[in-house]
Amino acid sequence: MADTCPRCGFAEVSSDRCPQCGVVIATYQSSLEKMRRGPAPRPAAPAARPAAATPARAAAVTTGSRHVIFRGSGGSLFGIHVVNALLILATVGIYYFWAKVRVRSYLWSESEFEGDRFAYHGTGRELIIGFAKAALFFFLPATLLNMLPELLGASPVVIIVTRMLVSIFAAIFIPIAIVGARRYRLSRTSWRGIRFSLRAKTGDFARLWILGWLLIPLTLGFYYPSFIVNQHRFLTSHSWFGSERFSFDGRGRDLLPAWFGVVLLFVPTLGLSWFWFAARRQRYYAEHTRVAGARFRSTVTGPKLAWLTISTWIGLICTVGLAWPWLTVRRMRRTFEWLSLDGPLALDTITQQAQQVNATGEGLSGFFDADLGFT
Amino acid sequence: MRLDWDAAYLDGRTAARRRATVHITRTGLDVVLAEDGARFFWPFREIRQTQGTYAGEQVRLERGGEMSEVLLIGDVGFLSAARAASPEAGHLHDPSRRRFRAGLTFGALVTAVALALGIYYFGIPAFAEVAAARVPVSWEESLGRAIVDHFAPAARRCDDPVRQARIDAVVARLTATAQPQPYTFRVTVVNSGVVNAVAAPGGNIIVFRGLLERTDSAEELAGVLAHEVEHVLHRHVTRAIFQRASTGILMAALVGDVSSVVAYGLEGARTLGTLQMSRAAESEADRDGIRLLQAAGIDTAGMITFFDKLSARERGGDDILPRYLRTHPTTSERIATLRSLAAAAAPPQGRLLPDDAWDNVKNLCGQRPADARSPRR
Repeated sequence: MADTCPRCGFAEVSSDRCPQCGVVIATYQSSLEKMRRGPAPRPAAPAARPAAATPARAAAVTTGSRHVIFRGSGGSLFGIHVVNALLILATVGIYYFWAKVRVRSYLWSESEFEGDRFAYHGTGRELIIGFAKAALFFFLPATLLNMLPELLGASPVVIIVTRMLVSIFAAIFIPIAIVGARRYRLSRTSWRGIRFSLRAKTGDFARLWILGWLLIPLTLGFYYPSFIVNQHRFLTSHSWFGSERFSFDGRGRDLLPAWFGVVLLFVPTLGLSWFWFAARRQRYYAEHTRVAGARFRSTVTGPKLAWLTISTWIGLICTVGLAWPWLTVRRMRRTFEWLSLDGPLALDTITQQAQQVNATGEGLSGFFDADLGFT
Repeated sequence: MRLDWDAAYLDGRTAARRRATVHITRTGLDVVLAEDGARFFWPFREIRQTQGTYAGEQVRLERGGEMSEVLLIGDVGFLSAARAASPEAGHLHDPSRRRFRAGLTFGALVTAVALALGIYYFGIPAFAEVAAARVPVSWEESLGRAIVDHFAPAARRCDDPVRQARIDAVVARLTATAQPQPYTFRVTVVNSGVVNAVAAPGGNIIVFRGLLERTDSAEELAGVLAHEVEHVLHRHVTRAIFQRASTGILMAALVGDVSSVVAYGLEGARTLGTLQMSRAAESEADRDGIRLLQAAGIDTAGMITFFDKLSARERGGDDILPRYLRTHPTTSERIATLRSLAAAAAPPQGRLLPDDAWDNVKNLCGQRPADARSPRR
């Protein structure tokens, strides 16, 4: 018989149950033991390994075409939205960050893949700290720099020079925001208890980004497809699901003909050719992205994408935004229907790998409207 | 009471999903894994519920920090059973409260709408008034200069120092009675056929040639100027800027994340609101404008005649006139209000300028070639 409780350290335990914390000593100790060993004997795969689906592990590999299914309803989302709106008004806007978490949490929880829901782990506290940091380090200095010369009555030359400085300042912060927001969101997303992550140096992306914007005008726009594909490659191939890395093998020149087409047809089609290009790009990105031995595939087409986007806009504008919950649900359903993950999928060697991430980039992205996802 | 439930277990270290059975005890959950019979215990106080509060969701219980373990239970009946079995499970969601929660949500909807209307009709105007009063005059002046440069680029200004001095004299006579006030008033005449006048913040008043040429006496222009001077003194434009910004924030709060698309839809609603607020500002400028004229000893009949003339042209369907009326909605009701205000005091003796002298002044832009958009037919 134990005389101190192994859980809370209470000294006078006379029976099998601790009178202070109520734990059953024998059960607790055995569970501790199990926890130490891990609940089940796992295949000896301690470190990350490229998940080539070898025949030896065929039993754990599933095949076929898999979809993310969105199971949420517009009604529930509207309920969340109403309570959020009330609390945002009542707290003079401070609740905004928690509201955002509640909406994301719902959308993630309602997205199901292979019978398991995604989960969102971000908190309002993280978001508000991220926002405050972004405001302090970016928004405040940029605004001051933009307005001070004029308020102080400086000469037009000084005003123009500071405006240019602010533009350069912003141009450097946009890639930082893109990477930061992606890093934060992935790190706060899990499926089957395993977190996603982005493991990349922000500076590398900023270099790619700034170089791209310099090369686009120099090449009369021909560099644009390479630029967007390079960005996508960077963000995808540095994304991980636990110990499993996503890979991307696309090349910018493959999109060059489509890019040509969209530019030539942009005016005659009143801009609608853009949807055709966007759909082509989505299909291309999907087909060249792999994870855990499986490859993505997209069935999106220009008309489908155009109709979804335009009808969502019209719906939002006509209802002054009130139909947002239902339109969001509809948009998520469609988008997930178009995307599938095909082929053998090896999940059992994937292990958790924790990453330290803060929400500053997320806060920054709010200032640029550079939202990547649905919310 | 059912105490054993089928579940799935995620250990937080691998992506494997394991079948498990959960047994509810008084202090926590006894979990047994199906494949190897491993057992462990989760005390209720260490359990967080992160999913399963909405219809159709499975129950998700988490335990531990960064790499938390997860139990997934498909049947929400589990929650009721756990809550019934132990007082320590009180923090888990209660499915029987979902109806009540729907009621609460409806209550929140009603409250949110009421709160939003209250803020819109009372909170924002009050805030805008307080905030506008605290804006330094120098800021208003630099904002006003930007507006003047926009409406009246230097090339389109009518410069005639002699005749301009007559107009300035009218302004000086008006503002002399409104002391103390921090603004330096300046009238800029623009060579454009538009029948309009604009009060920019900080004391800059823009009068378009079209309006000037339609006045038949100095008193008529004095009426328009009195109205515009009151806009400046009441800081109506500065107030409108605050109102617009805070209306935008209010709408963002109601609609949630405002993407650029929703912003377009909101723009329409916001403009309607702005128009409605500007009507209130117009009546205020009318009312106090009449008082300003009376205090300066200028005949108020000029203002009323001019507004009458404009509204008659509006009814006549003249296309060029209504620009002023759209921003300064001259309804017969407003003119009636002006008449009753004017009747309160006896008309003063004497004129500002004889009519033939005014005919000279109002053609301030006359030497220039006629504007292409000239309303003359």
